[in-house]
Amino acid sequence: MTTLLKAHELRHSFGATPALDGVSLEVRRHEILAVVGESGSGKTTLLNVLAGRMNADQGTVHYHDGANLRSLSELGERELHRLQRARWGFVEQNPRAALRLNITAGGNIGERLMAAGDRHYGNIRAIATHWLEQVEIDPKRLDDLPMNFSGGMLQRLQIARMLVTEPELVFMDEPTGGLDASVQARVLDLIRSLVRRLGLAVVLVTHDIGVARLLADRLIVMRQGLIVESGLTDQVLDDPHHAYTQLLVSSVLPA
Amino acid sequence: MKGYNFAYLDENTKRMIRRAILKAVAIPGHQIPFASREMPLPYGWGTGGIQITAALLGMSDVLKVIDQGADDTTNAISIRRFFALTAGVATTTHTAGASLIQTRHRIPETPLRQDQILIYQVPMPEPLYRLEPNKSAAMRLHALADYGAMHVKLYEDITRFGRVATAYNHPVMVNRRYLMSPSPIPAYDNPKLHRMPALQLFGAGREQRIYAVPPYTEVRSLDFVDYPFHPGRAQHNCSQCGSDDSYLDEVITDNDGGRLFLCSDTDFCQNRQKAAK
Repeated sequence: MTTLLKAHELRHSFGATPALDGVSLEVRRHEILAVVGESGSGKTTLLNVLAGRMNADQGTVHYHDGANLRSLSELGERELHRLQRARWGFVEQNPRAALRLNITAGGNIGERLMAAGDRHYGNIRAIATHWLEQVEIDPKRLDDLPMNFSGGMLQRLQIARMLVTEPELVFMDEPTGGLDASVQARVLDLIRSLVRRLGLAVVLVTHDIGVARLLADRLIVMRQGLIVESGLTDQVLDDPHHAYTQLLVSSVLPA
Repeated sequence: MKGYNFAYLDENTKRMIRRAILKAVAIPGHQIPFASREMPLPYGWGTGGIQITAALLGMSDVLKVIDQGADDTTNAISIRRFFALTAGVATTTHTAGASLIQTRHRIPETPLRQDQILIYQVPMPEPLYRLEPNKSAAMRLHALADYGAMHVKLYEDITRFGRVATAYNHPVMVNRRYLMSPSPIPAYDNPKLHRMPALQLFGAGREQRIYAVPPYTEVRSLDFVDYPFHPGRAQHNCSQCGSDDSYLDEVITDNDGGRLFLCSDTDFCQNRQKAAK
């Protein structure tokens, strides 16, 4: 598997607090990488830096665009923007932050297509309908406003909106964080099947070990801005070496 | 008029405005900030347009001012009189006889020529304002030519009403680069923006922006391939001159639902009535 995204020695601090203290990692094509850790361990900062949403104080992020490894900081705003809008996706914890609530589901899904230059109303609608079906929302809801959708549907709509340009790399920040247990299971199931079917690479930030075990191929455990342990998911979770990982694994409540 | 500089504004202010106009002409459709002055009329009455007019007026110019197409409304009359008083220039109501035309929300029906300048009064120059209220974010979108969100609005209109429902202020792409608000002219007038021989200048006084469409510039109204732009017009004839292709105003005449339609361009209508006699 080839490298898709490569971070080298990322450092970033907020005032005197280091959020990233020398983080290096690689994301390969078609793999799901989970980043777990407690609140304040630098997970979200790492995700934002990898996704080009913020610049780290030090260190580089390289992206393999199919031909070359290119540094994000050298891409320029326009190209980075295009990358984020077409070949990458970002799933927010709170779908209300990502969606336009006063625009119909179809308009929300179509936005990326229109940004990419699609100017055929009928086409956009057909594609939006297709993606609603893919995320298991009744296509009849195409012209409904998201403000009337349930939490789980909103999250699925956000995923449809992001997948419509068929990205190759998706960043997810606690995608099931705000959902109740049964809805969470359904959304996770959906993510797992879509990711496999579409061959996506995913960087998934979560504090939920269960989510990581279900979805991820590889796992990174962060604490205080440092990667304390990494490896195959089952390997790390079944045989944790670092004291913090052991604590994390043992503190999961039995179902 | 004694005590005032020619055309009210002092020469340094005029120079500043002319510089902004030159920049605006150099980058068609791009909004140029300028140090808008307090004018002796309220914001929303054409403070932007009046400053451009003041900066451009010369001794030999002939000025026409219209408000929604009409020469005889309060706004049009007072601005025309203002310049007759402070600059002593000739004024007219005839489109063909004017060298400068200041307009609020209409383009004259009579086609304009190369030697004329059309000055629009603009209340809100930012076409993305409703989608992106943050000004610096909107400027970024302009810089990146990232106008997808504007089509989302058109998509919503078609989904809800079966057609694009903006009857006025329909956004346009200028020279295939900048999204521009055509000041609130009716969609009916949008096609006239395209490759117009006259220079078109847009002034927004409160928002402190000037922008321009140079002569013969490509101006396209946003639309979808399968829902092409449709310039709407009331399906009636003018009750005064009988025109069936000019833009009409609807006038309520009594309390029993009586109404009549007449040309919004008074000069155009009167010329047609004269010709018919």
